[in-house]
Amino acid sequence: MSVCLPPALRPVVQRCAGVLAAGGLLWPVLTGVSAVVPEGRWSFTPPAQAESFAGAPAHAPAQDWSFRGALGHFDLAAVQRGYAVFAGVCASCHSLTQVHFSDLGGMGLTPEQVSALAASWQVVAGRDAEGRLTHRKALPDDALPAPYTGPEAARAANRGAVPPDLSRIVQVYPGGADRVYALLTGYASSASAPGAGAARAEAGFANPYAIGHRTAMPPPLRENAVVYADGTRPTAQQEARDVTTFLAWISSPHADDKRRLGVGVVLYLCFLACLLVILKRRIWSHVEK
Amino acid sequence: MKHPETQDHTSAPAAFSGGFAGWMEQRLPIFSAFRKEYVDFPMPRNLNWLWNFGAILVVVLLLMLATGTFLAMNYTPTSAEAFFSTEAIDRQLSGGWLLRGMHVTGASLFLAALYIHLFRGLYYGSYKAPRELLWLSGLVLLVMVMGTAFAGYVLPWGQMSYWGADVMTKAVGAIPVVGSALEHVLTGGDHLGDVFLHRVFVLHFIMAFLVVGVVGLHVACVHITKSGNPLGREPKGPQDTLPFHPYYTSKDLIGLIVFAMVFSALLFFWPGLLTEPANYAPADPLHTPADIEPEWYFLPFYGLLQSVPSKFGGLLAAASAILVLFALPWLDQSPVRSARFRPACRLGLAGLVMAFILLAAVGKHHATGEWMLIGRLAGLYYFGFFLVLLPLVSRREKAQLQAASPTTSEGDA
Amino acid sequence: MTHPTDPTTAPGQDESTVPGRRDFLGMVTTAGTVTGLAACAIPFVESLKPQDSAAAHQPVEVDLSKLAPGQQMTTVWQGKPVFILRRTPEELARLQNAALNETLRDAQSEALQQPPYARNWHRSVVPEYGVYVGICTHLGCVPAYMPPTPAPDQTGFYACPCHGSHFDLAGRVLKGAPAPYNLPVPPYVMPTPTTLRLGENPKGETFDFSTIEQI
Repeated sequence: MSVCLPPALRPVVQRCAGVLAAGGLLWPVLTGVSAVVPEGRWSFTPPAQAESFAGAPAHAPAQDWSFRGALGHFDLAAVQRGYAVFAGVCASCHSLTQVHFSDLGGMGLTPEQVSALAASWQVVAGRDAEGRLTHRKALPDDALPAPYTGPEAARAANRGAVPPDLSRIVQVYPGGADRVYALLTGYASSASAPGAGAARAEAGFANPYAIGHRTAMPPPLRENAVVYADGTRPTAQQEARDVTTFLAWISSPHADDKRRLGVGVVLYLCFLACLLVILKRRIWSHVEK
Repeated sequence: MKHPETQDHTSAPAAFSGGFAGWMEQRLPIFSAFRKEYVDFPMPRNLNWLWNFGAILVVVLLLMLATGTFLAMNYTPTSAEAFFSTEAIDRQLSGGWLLRGMHVTGASLFLAALYIHLFRGLYYGSYKAPRELLWLSGLVLLVMVMGTAFAGYVLPWGQMSYWGADVMTKAVGAIPVVGSALEHVLTGGDHLGDVFLHRVFVLHFIMAFLVVGVVGLHVACVHITKSGNPLGREPKGPQDTLPFHPYYTSKDLIGLIVFAMVFSALLFFWPGLLTEPANYAPADPLHTPADIEPEWYFLPFYGLLQSVPSKFGGLLAAASAILVLFALPWLDQSPVRSARFRPACRLGLAGLVMAFILLAAVGKHHATGEWMLIGRLAGLYYFGFFLVLLPLVSRREKAQLQAASPTTSEGDA
Repeated sequence: MTHPTDPTTAPGQDESTVPGRRDFLGMVTTAGTVTGLAACAIPFVESLKPQDSAAAHQPVEVDLSKLAPGQQMTTVWQGKPVFILRRTPEELARLQNAALNETLRDAQSEALQQPPYARNWHRSVVPEYGVYVGICTHLGCVPAYMPPTPAPDQTGFYACPCHGSHFDLAGRVLKGAPAPYNLPVPPYVMPTPTTLRLGENPKGETFDFSTIEQI
């Protein structure tokens, strides 16, 4: 790619390997065969190019996720631990607007466990006779409550930055799960030092995986930030890994169902195809070529 | 059939002479008509697998209508609720992820199958006399399906939906004289909001059913002119044809199964291949995503649009790329139908496919620098093929044929 | 087939060369295809299933402190209108009038249209307050509350605007009206004398509203 491009277009070019990319774009559609889609997204990014301009996020090293690939499946224990990290750490700033508590049953929880989990959250019940907001315990049908009433409140509470909604973050965020994990664990060591004061926060926190290598999010994870119910040791690495798994799961909660059904459907189609090929050959057996 | 007064209805085959079928037959001969058109219908015996795509398209269309109807029952066409209701279909509605998955995959593969079907017609000369109306109705379908697909892509009201719609309405605004008025009517206000979304929803819904009507017309054309074939010569008699059933029903079913496998692979294992991640973020009129691009099936036209340095010129080029196909039966006057017997034409068609893919690449990479040049060359070739190359080649072929055998025109025999 | 057979292809055009084997194969294939198509209908049918909303099953708290004797208020519980009326002593006396009870279709509340703890002469937990689901048992219109007029011997009642069914102030249907049953009584408790919680049974009671005769 020796073409001279304005910086705004470079990410575009980085995502595409070359002239043949469009051919590659059409080809998998016609054949159903593709080796380039590990995360449900195009990933033509050659690692070397990621450093091509200053401020571009560093290339996140690929992690060995259980849900990777066409036949991957979610490690539900990790998803549940990840929910604990989300509820204990992320939820104070980030929302999961599209998610209802009942959706969390897909993590492998019984309806009773989902009700109990929902009851640990408070949601707005409406306004009382004086116009004040009232709250009640959440029910399985409720959406997860957002930490801020709107973007203005979020901006005011976070020095002008709005923490993004996490409902589809792994799908929408360029780089996917690898980059989310890299961002969570990739803070420069000085940023997470106890002395990281307000002055540093104004400029953002150094992180090679953020755009411009600065992020407004303070290092969120530390050792023992949460207590895991299953006794796993909550190191910062482990927390990051679990919460990334949770966010990947919540981005496409039916992915496992999808793959499972897909295996059945393909097997059925193969069986039917065999029958049909035999039938067709027999019907056509006397027709001259 | 016993009564003398019904003797004039003897066209009904003996199979439908008694019982309910016989009763129906005398009033509305649908059974014998079905038998004539779908059981005994003579098909050329030498059709290859490219002739499967007609049946595939019909089945995908039915699937789209079914899934679309059920999705519409759970969708809210307002700018505040559209994204949420789509997410609710994906997350909370039981079976919703599957219905939506089928609809999304179906849309992409419908266009894919349509392009192959179109190329089949192009390669084997299915647009030539007496099948001009078949070709034209097919092109009308192409335009309608593209419109429906675009309208459908707007509905989830994600970032790509919004900005795609924005670019599209602005492009319409570039038409001289009537453009800005048209744009205003299309958007239904000074910004894209509830009114626009509601209109697009109704348009998407209605267009889908209009497509079914035109498909009926298209199929009627096939049944009048009979199917073409890879050789481009009409069958001389029964020895060259086979009844539709069971020969082509069994063959079409195999084609459908293979297609269903591709469909399932994309739907179940590589869902991200056909969807743009940015469309999973809700529409934000204050922030344009980093690289906006249409769905893959619009990329060649998007490439043309960008390769022309004028706003209206680009639109004109993209529209002409389809319009030129309407003139094809009259641009190509060669008596030889199939490209199998037209070496020059075959070479030109290979170039055309290449140009089409290159234009898609240009659309994906944005027409700047090198890509701008590639886009212009490919665009030039695309139009050159239809407007210059094909008429010249066909004139030469005509002359050659007349020199070889002045009394017969072999390809049309 | 209908067209004349060509000598070179004649055996090929004949479908019945191996009738038994093809028939069996054809049957299996047809059965397989039909099964597959039927299975395709599953997600469609699934999507039509009503999504049971736990939020709609939440008890609804109602404050009665502003409700004066002889007044009626309407609140919403599970999407249905619920009438809450505070009956005057005269009205309560009329409910027990045996002569008037003769004009009622089901004066003793024999049909299961109320929880067992409301199967009494006043069809409620506390005589003063009547709580009824305001949906006519005929064809589902919402009856209108007719407050008592100043004329002597006049009492309030409920009149359905659709087909003229009348109900007394205990929700009991009058004879000669098209409505077959009394107005249903929802499950409720009164944690304090002036608050009411709809959708919750008193302790020890297990009444399920969906088991009633007819709404």
